[in-house]
Amino acid sequence: MRGGAVSLGGRSIWRDASFTIEPATITAVLGPNGSGKTTLLNLILGLVELGEGTLEVFGEPPHRGSRRLGYMTQTRVADTTSALTGRDYVGLGFDGPHFGWGRDRSKREVVRQALALTGTAAYADQPLYSLSGGQRQRMALAHATVFKPELLLLDEPLAALDLAAQAEIVDLINLIRDTTGAAIVVVAHDLNPLAPIVDQVLWIARRKVRSGSIDEVVSEEVLSELYGHPIEIVLTPRGRRVIVGLEEEFAHPHPHGHDHSHEAGHEHFVELYEEETK
Amino acid sequence: MSLIQLLATSFVQNAFYAVTAVALAAGAVGYFVVLRRQAFAAHAIGHVGFAGAAGAVLLGLSPIVGLLVFCLGAGLLIGLGAASLDDRDAVVGVTLTAALGLGVLFISLYSGYANATYSILFGQILGVSWADVGLVAALSLTVLLVVSLVFRPMLFVSVDAQSAASRGLSPRMMSLLFMSLLAVTTVVAIQIVGVLLVFSLLVAPAAAAEVLTNRPLRAMGLSMALAIFSAWTGLLLGVWIGGPVSFWITALASTSYLVARLVDAMRPRAVRRAVA
Repeated sequence: MRGGAVSLGGRSIWRDASFTIEPATITAVLGPNGSGKTTLLNLILGLVELGEGTLEVFGEPPHRGSRRLGYMTQTRVADTTSALTGRDYVGLGFDGPHFGWGRDRSKREVVRQALALTGTAAYADQPLYSLSGGQRQRMALAHATVFKPELLLLDEPLAALDLAAQAEIVDLINLIRDTTGAAIVVVAHDLNPLAPIVDQVLWIARRKVRSGSIDEVVSEEVLSELYGHPIEIVLTPRGRRVIVGLEEEFAHPHPHGHDHSHEAGHEHFVELYEEETK
Repeated sequence: MSLIQLLATSFVQNAFYAVTAVALAAGAVGYFVVLRRQAFAAHAIGHVGFAGAAGAVLLGLSPIVGLLVFCLGAGLLIGLGAASLDDRDAVVGVTLTAALGLGVLFISLYSGYANATYSILFGQILGVSWADVGLVAALSLTVLLVVSLVFRPMLFVSVDAQSAASRGLSPRMMSLLFMSLLAVTTVVAIQIVGVLLVFSLLVAPAAAAEVLTNRPLRAMGLSMALAIFSAWTGLLLGVWIGGPVSFWITALASTSYLVARLVDAMRPRAVRRAVA
């Protein structure tokens, strides 16, 4: 993307975004709620149009329904009451968009591979609603990767998971990158669990987007400039970053009502923060 | 007349063909009604159909013309206005009451024979003509054909609309398509079981099937089988014992749901479907 700007319903979301996403890399998209992180994914998916600048996905303008793109949505499957089995759900990722009667004979094998890769085969025949949050998230990853996309977009894959489950999903994301060579874009609230596997960071705040390596973006100078007030970054003995000065950003309730991911992110942040100030 | 002789009469045979066609279409579309949690929309479309039929009778037209116009219109309105789950109930509710109000007006304006209204409300299964059977069969076959063609995308959109949208499916278009299928099925079913009992074939068999299996194709097949069972047995009991056929069909369909829940409750906890 070069010089990209986007607005929704007449409201400018962000502008002057420029970045490139390389194959087999992991990009973390960070920023406060409502800053336009999901909008960025929708742009790449071709569901939202860019107002200014150019965005090329695989060298051409984004268009809907590309089989080279995989997308894991934020909440729907996590909150599901669906009785569908994981195997059928993953199968829908493969041939769900196809009208007509034809059956693809390779489906069974492709689904089996996706289940094996994500370690979900053991509970693939149970209904989705009976799975734990972490299991559902793995199943959603299997669904999004079943046709081996070259670019995989993950919206808050760590939301509403406990720390152990977060670590498992992070390992799985890394494994998917290593085995499929996909470029992976992860929208997240907290950089720390992802930091070991991230190659690039896109930080969106106050209608601006900054991109670069973790060290380039997550610095006191860049973030202070981005937010327009002083930000401090404290490095914990284990190498985790605690960002001080964003309490306000995180404490604002989400304007669109209930949002589990926000609460989870908030609690985690406060926990780390208090630990460091004792 | 003995039962055998009764069953050989043309009006019972016409009824037999008509309920078969209706049960197949309603069982199939009903699966998606239950999956998409749109029982309220199914309910509303039936009642909207009542207003349409009353209006057609008032104008001296065949009730089925009014049924088709009103049901399809309401289906498209609900499909367009309630593509997202959030405001669906309100859109359905407003459409429902607006149409019912019209229905009341039409009936009050109509000074003729009230039997037409009665049969729309409660069905007229034993008064089905051979021409009716042809129409019902053609509409049902069309619905079944379309359902078989859109089965996978409809399932995808119903289970995970966001993911389906990212793969190029339009949830709004699929919602319109679903409501059109529902509207046509409702029109067909109203001929047989009437506005008030459309539900019995559209929702109860599918709900029972959904309790018994979580495989989509199997659930739809089971839903159609239960609808056929309720329809055939209901017709037989109505002819044999007496009482309105639509009562028997409704009683059997509801009972099959009850039995499905009982069967489910007796299964080991791990495979049980109903959480409530």
